[in-house]
This record gives sequence, structure tokens and C-alpha cells, in this order.
Amino acid sequence: MATAARPATTAAPRETDLAGLQTSRLVQSHIWIAIAAFAVACLLGVWQMWARSPIQAPYHTAANYFRSVTLHGVSMAFVLTTFFIMGFGYYVAETALKRPLPGIGFAWVAFWMGIAGTLMAALSVISGNASVLFTFYPPLTATPWFYVGLVLVVVASWIWCILMIIAMRSWRRANDGRPVPLAMFATTANAVMWLWTTVGVAAELLFQVIPAAFGWNQTVDVGLSRTLFSWTLHAIVYFWLFPSYSAFYTMFPRAAGGRLYSDTMGRLAFILFLLYSLPVGLHHLFMDPEHSNGFKFLQMFLTALVSVPTLLTVFTITASAEIAGRMRGGKGLFGWIGALPWERPMVLATGLAFVMLFWGGGGGLINMSYGMNAMIHNTSWVTAHFHLIFGGTVVIMYQAICYSIWPSLTGRDFPSLKPLLVQLWLWFIGMMVMTLPWHWLGLEGQWRRVAAFDYSNPIIHGWGPWVIVSLVGGIILALSAFLFLYNLASLHWRGVLGAPAEIEYARAVHEPERVPSSLNGFGLWNIIVALLMLLAYGWPIAQFFVYPPPQAMVHRLG
Amino acid sequence: MAINEDAILKSELRWAIVVGGIVAVILIAILYAALAMHINPPSNREYVDPKTLHLSAEFTEANLGTRVDPNGQVVARLIATQFEFVPNCIVLPARTPVTMRITSPDVIHGLLVSGTNVNTMVIPGYVAQVHTTFTKTGDLLMPCHEFCGLGHSQMMATVRVVPPAAFHPGPGGRIACGNRG
Amino acid sequence: MAETPDSPPNPARIDRSWRMRAAAIVSVAVATGSVIGFVLIPAGQKSGAHLTMGHAMERAAGLAPGSPAVPQPLSTATAIPVSTVSWSPDVLKILAAGHTDRGAQIAGQTCAACHGDKGLSQSAGAPPGGPVFPSLAGQSSYAIYKQLNDFQSGARVNPQMSAIAQTLDPADLASVAAYYADGSKEYAAIGKRQLLGDPEIEKLANEGDSHRRLPACLACHVNNAGGPIETPVITGQNEDYLVTQLNAFASGQRKNDVYGRMRDVAGKLTPQERAALARYFEGTL
Repeated sequence: MATAARPATTAAPRETDLAGLQTSRLVQSHIWIAIAAFAVACLLGVWQMWARSPIQAPYHTAANYFRSVTLHGVSMAFVLTTFFIMGFGYYVAETALKRPLPGIGFAWVAFWMGIAGTLMAALSVISGNASVLFTFYPPLTATPWFYVGLVLVVVASWIWCILMIIAMRSWRRANDGRPVPLAMFATTANAVMWLWTTVGVAAELLFQVIPAAFGWNQTVDVGLSRTLFSWTLHAIVYFWLFPSYSAFYTMFPRAAGGRLYSDTMGRLAFILFLLYSLPVGLHHLFMDPEHSNGFKFLQMFLTALVSVPTLLTVFTITASAEIAGRMRGGKGLFGWIGALPWERPMVLATGLAFVMLFWGGGGGLINMSYGMNAMIHNTSWVTAHFHLIFGGTVVIMYQAICYSIWPSLTGRDFPSLKPLLVQLWLWFIGMMVMTLPWHWLGLEGQWRRVAAFDYSNPIIHGWGPWVIVSLVGGIILALSAFLFLYNLASLHWRGVLGAPAEIEYARAVHEPERVPSSLNGFGLWNIIVALLMLLAYGWPIAQFFVYPPPQAMVHRLG
Repeated sequence: MAINEDAILKSELRWAIVVGGIVAVILIAILYAALAMHINPPSNREYVDPKTLHLSAEFTEANLGTRVDPNGQVVARLIATQFEFVPNCIVLPARTPVTMRITSPDVIHGLLVSGTNVNTMVIPGYVAQVHTTFTKTGDLLMPCHEFCGLGHSQMMATVRVVPPAAFHPGPGGRIACGNRG
Repeated sequence: MAETPDSPPNPARIDRSWRMRAAAIVSVAVATGSVIGFVLIPAGQKSGAHLTMGHAMERAAGLAPGSPAVPQPLSTATAIPVSTVSWSPDVLKILAAGHTDRGAQIAGQTCAACHGDKGLSQSAGAPPGGPVFPSLAGQSSYAIYKQLNDFQSGARVNPQMSAIAQTLDPADLASVAAYYADGSKEYAAIGKRQLLGDPEIEKLANEGDSHRRLPACLACHVNNAGGPIETPVITGQNEDYLVTQLNAFASGQRKNDVYGRMRDVAGKLTPQERAALARYFEGTL
């Protein structure tokens, strides 16, 4: 009942507003953990760039450097992402389907399991017994508790996957024949894809790495472990990317004041990601001896296909933006761009994300071709690429998503959007300043995962100024990260009460009455994924069992 | 605003054709490199036991480095180990097809030769093999580019590319850098 | 029967046509990629390696080693191992089965005279020029096992040790290794030793030297570094032993380090640095 004293400028809140979202605490808990990991990792990243630069850095030992790289990688790649995606997924399940989340008790179990796993892994790394980087390639083997911690996080995410599938299924039963709202379709597509994705790393951890870490095995089949990890390694970046693309399709058009150009294309894009992000992992192993030219070519061919949904998305979202711009009075070939409401964080973030997508995606096209890959494999180009495409395009959208959903979660509006826009600009500028020179250094031959460069070498000396430029970019990013944290946190004491506990997703120009069943569910696609994986990964994995290679001794780190 | 649903789908299809064209161009470039220049990724499914590598014949210490094999092939054999390449410096001729064979007795390493298309992972259990032809002469950096432990940052070798006229293998076909890199 | 313009198309037919188109597109993609990768490319490359189509396809599929485009090199070398010790699960089993009681017996009879009855060297503090004995208490069992084997096989040569090693069989070697590894923890524990040196030496030990391509000593010689299995503990080892070994590696006189890891490192250090590092790692209690 509306009895609390509130500013008289807003209308009396409805019953549902004060009741709030069922998943509000669940979503906020997940996202705050993600942000905490993110903030710590940003600081570590700055120290790492400092250590690699010609400028003397404190505590600069090899042991500290690789401990930091491991913690930074695990925080950004596993904790920030998984917790954010789970939280946002619960949010979409409630708000897009407009009903409470079934099984919310299990969601909390998953949350605490994820916390336990994160702490286990983080403490292992901090103790110095798990400096194996976020890719943890055997035979280098950390303390088993590092891996057990990661497994707990993955299992927690599996619970999330099942809850998403159940939520979508039960909505479909109650809404026979109607199209699943696009935001939930994307979220569930992501959940289905994640279940497929984690098979690789789970098999590697459960059957190879954890037994070795506990001392039950003294040797490990290195080629097999790299192959199983590659199964996960590409698809995981699409797991990270789905919420951002979901925001492109279902949040940006509305924020821009227009409509989504095509709902069908949105569904198709998410399905194409589900299909083609998995049977392409071998492109992370182009430079490995254990796989044949033929399978590398086949998976490269399929990788070319996974560029299609991104290119389709660019078209569809740009068209949606054009609709909005022209509705706001923009004229001429490009006039609609200026007419867009750039003062809205979601619109600004999408525009900046697309600029970064151009550079990062272009880099991806180069990585995917094995001839060009040979010029940049394991150079700074690779590091620059994934920082730009993930840290840039994907994470800036995570930030914009948080700004969009925080009012409905907390019941408070931002008093001013200016600090939000400043934070997004800083993130974009920092990311471009950090990664563009880094790409160049990769082409110059600067290689990866180095704690200390020999700047007395004339070639390496020439890299020094660019490394410092990247460091400056990193510092800007860290500032942006803390401003982001502050913007969200300060909502709790500076926010304006009265924000409704709901969100409007974008509507398509032609809202579908009915969509073909294959665009409303995943039965067919699961079968095709299974077939694709059998054809693309079947023999590449089976060969390790049919012709077992000699194994390598385990090298234990603590 | 009247945008016909059909028109939307048609425009998306037109764009998809453009996209297909971009992808086709990239694939054709790769095919050209494969068929006209014989460029392949460094695949080589050849097993070798890392645990007994130092007891083996081909990768025994005395056989490492550059050698012109009896059949005329210029082959450089290297070990990548924690935390050095053995040998630390190799000599190879320019404008001649050469083959590098590298393997590891311990963990995963990787290498690239700066300014060239030589780039490969070194996976214990396999002989990594790269075929190339150097175009420029000089001392090239060959760092280890995959994390192999705490000494990874210092793991580096030199590839000394000399003009073919200056490439004089000794008896047995072997040639080394001489003084320490 | 004219269709009214408003009659909706049959949903089941639309579904089916989507399914068939999807399956067709994916099949064509996989088939095209496979034909190009497994047939077309090896066909176009096989002349470079003088291969038949079958052999070229075998290489492209990874069923045979080598590239479809280049002849596969052959090796005519003979094996000249610098050490006969290799690590495998079987060897680790032998070490795990080593009996510390039997090891104590052998140590008391044979080793203690020089290596001390607590495993702490008897030559520490002796005037230079005399024999130098390493401390063994708390040493890695893998390191002891390898060195004893190398003395036995002649990969490492020392007048006294070469003779003594001949008298031990594999089970004895394992027992002695286990006994000493089990020994005084205050010797082995890096935390129990104060390591102090001037900044240059501390830097070499902890960070290495990128200019000379020298990894940090502690990149291998610390408990959880994940380095070579036979890496010995050097913290707390007596200074004169450490410096004589570093010099022996540098001159090539000692060469049982697999692939020359220590020969490479020691050779890059100046004699003064070797002495200073030896002093640094002896540390103080």
C-alpha cells in the first residue's frame, strides 16, 4: 500500500511498482559480484601494462606478473561474464515473459555455488599455486582447488541454463502458438549454446586436469586437452556476446525512439550463432601440429559462416537506427545519424559498440584465415583483438544494460544521465587508445604473456612508446570502471524514487503474430548442432583415442 | 511509416548476398595461397615421446641445429624447453626452401620468427614442422610465444638468415652460429 | 478453387520448408568445406611433394605425418644421450616405493661420512681447494635419484660418487632419495632461510635478465614453479658446492643437464655473479 512519504512530483505508485520485481535481489546480487570482479581485474590490468612498459613498476617479479595475469583473466573471462549473464538472464525471464521466474530457489543455490567456486579459485591464484592463466593449458598443472572452484562456477551456470529453458517452455505452454519474446528467445538460445559449449572444458577438467592435479595421473595427453578446451574457447565468446546483441535488438531500437527493423532476422542471427559458434574451435589450434590441414580448413570454412550473423546484425540494427533517426526528422543520406537521441546511454553505447565492432570484427576476419593467422598468432594482436571486441563492444553494452535495468530493479531513476554518458565515452576512448597501438605492436612481432621486455634490444626499444600509450588507455579504462561502479552504487542514495518495476522491450516494425516453429524453439537446431559437432570435431577428438599419442609428464605448480 | 514486410526481408537478403560476397573473397584468397603458393598451416601428425626425447636419435643434443640432409633438404632441428631454445642461435639461407622441426620434452611452447610467416605451437608429443622461404637476411628474433612457466619472458633464440652464397655447411652438412648468439 | 487473399499459409508447411532449407544450407556448407579441404587442396599441392593423390589426402586428413605440399624430412642421426634418466609413471612408482628405513641404513653406512649424518654437508667452511660435498637433507627425491643414476651411468663424473653409485641398485637409489627428501625440513624450506643479497643479485634470482635471456633462478628452483622435474632445491645449499657446480656447467665439464639448461644459464653468468648467487642461495638461518 502506498503509505511511505515520497516526493510529490511523481504520481502515486501502482501496487505492482512497490511490490517490485520478484528477481530484483537475485539480479542485483549477481551483477554486483560481476562488477566487483571486474573492478579488481581492471586494477590488475593497469599494473600488468605498467610492468610490461619501459617504466619501472613495483613488485615486478615473474611470479607476481603471472599470478596477476591469471587472476585478471579468470575474473574477466569467467566471473564477470558468468555472473552478469546469469543475472541479466533472470531479469529478462521475468520482465520479457511478464511472469515470476519458476524455481527461484534453485537460482539462489546456483548463486551461492558460484560464490563458493569463485572464492576457491581466486584464493588458489592469490596463494601463487595456480599461475596457469585463464587458459590453463596442461601439462602445467595448478593446485586442484583452482579447477574445482571453476567447475563449481560452471555447474552453477548449468542450473541457470536449465531455469532459462524451463521458463521459456512453461511460457510456451501457457501461450500456445505465440512467438516467444525476442529477448527471451535470445537468452534461452544462449543457455542452450552454453550447455553445448561447456562440454569441452568440463570433459578436459573432469577426465584429465583434475585427476592430474590430485596426483591420480602423472601424465596427460596434451593434444587432447587443447582440443577439448578449443571446443569451449570459441563458443564461450558468443556466450559472452549474446546479452549485448540482445540489447542491440530489444533495447536499442526503443531507446532510439524507433522500431526493430526485423524480428525474424533477430531470431535468425541468434540461431546462426548457436549453430556456428561451436564447430569452429579448431581455429584456435591453427598453429598446432596435432590437427590436420583438412579439418583446420573445414572449421575455417565454418568460421566464415559465423561472421554472417554479426554482419546481418550490423545491417538490421543500422536499419533500425535509420528508422528512428528519420522519425525524429533526420534527412538526407546521413542526416538521420545526427538526429538520434545520443544523450541516452543505450543509444550512445550502441553507437560506440559498433565502432569497436568494426575494428574488432575486422581483426577477427584476419584471425580466421590461417595464412594471415600465421602472422599474428600469439602476438599482441590477439590480445588487442579480444580486449577490443570483448572488453570493448561486449562490455560497453553490459554497462548500458545495467544502466537500463537498474531503475526497475531499485525503484530509483538516475537524477542525471551525464555521468553515465561520461563513463561510456571514457570506456570507449580508453579501449581505443589501449588496443589500437597494441594491434600494431602485434604486427611488429611483439609476442604474448611476457612479464618483462628487454628494452635494450633496438627492435623492442622501438615498441616502448606504444606500450606506454596502451598503458594510458588502460588507466582511462580503470577510471571509467570505477565511475561505472559509482554511477550504479550512487543510485541507491541519490536516485529519484518512482521508477516502475518493469521495462519495455523494443517492438518490431512488423510484430509477428506467429513465427515458424524453428524460429520459436531449439529442437531442430540441437539436432543440427549435434551433427555439425560430429562432423567437425568427431574425428579430431576420436583420433586421440584411435591413435593414442605419447603423453607428457605433469608439471605441478603447488 | 509504411515499410512492407516483404521489402524488409528482400533488403536483408540483398545484404546477405553482399556478406556472402565478402566471405567468398576471403576464402578465394585462402584457396589461392593454398594452391598457387602451397601455403598450409603447420600441421604435422608425427608422434615423438617427450619423456624420452633426450634419448632419441633425431633430437639428441648433437643433432640439433641446421643441417643440409643427405637428400639436400635444409632442415633446422630445435628443442623448446623450460626456458630456452636449443640451440640458442641457428643459421639458415635466404631464398631457399627450409624446414624447421621443433619439439618439446616438457610443456607447451610456441615460436614465431619476427617478420616472417614462421609461427607454430610446440606441443609435447608431436614434432612441430614449419616450411618457409626467407626473403630478407639478418638476425631475426625468435621468441617463445606461449606461456610455459615463470621463465617464459626470457625464452628467445636468434635466426641468422644469410645470403645463399654465404651459407657454407661444414662436413656432415652442419652449420652453426659460432660464438654465442 | 481460388484462394482468398486473407487465408493464412499452412503453418506446418512453413515449418517444414524452414527445416529443409536450414538442413540443406548446413549440409552444403559442410560438404563444400570438406571437399575443398580434404580433396581439392591436396590435389593441387601434391606435385610439391611428389605424392600420389591417396598419400596427399592421407596427409591432409592427418592420417600420415607431413604436409601434402612438401617432402617429409628424414633423419639419419644416432642417439647420444647426455643422461639416461627419463621420467615416466613407472619411474615415479619406483621413487614412491622407496623405503626411508632402508635409505637411512644406506645413508648411515655410505653417505654420512661426507654428507653428514643429518644430511648436512661436512665440507662447509673448509678451506678452499679441498673436496666439496653438498648437503642432502630435504633435497628433492627426483634430483637425488637422477644424480645417482647419472653417476652410475657415467653421465656425471666424480671420483668418489661414480664408484659409490656403482654399488647401489635401483631400489636402493630410490630408498636413499626418499630418505634424504624426507630429511630435515629446516634445510629445504625456503621460508626458513633468509635470502639477502645486493639488488642486482636479488633481481637475477627473482626476475632474471631479459637482455641476456636469463630466466629467474626462482623460475625453476622454487617449490611450485612447475619447472623441470629433476630441478634440485638450491636454497640452503652450501655456497662452495653451488659455485663449483655453476662453474662446471659453464665450462661444459658437467653436462648431465638435459638439453643444456644449466650449461646455458651458467655460461651467461659472469664468474662474479656465480659466486654472488651461490652466496645468496646459501642464505642464513
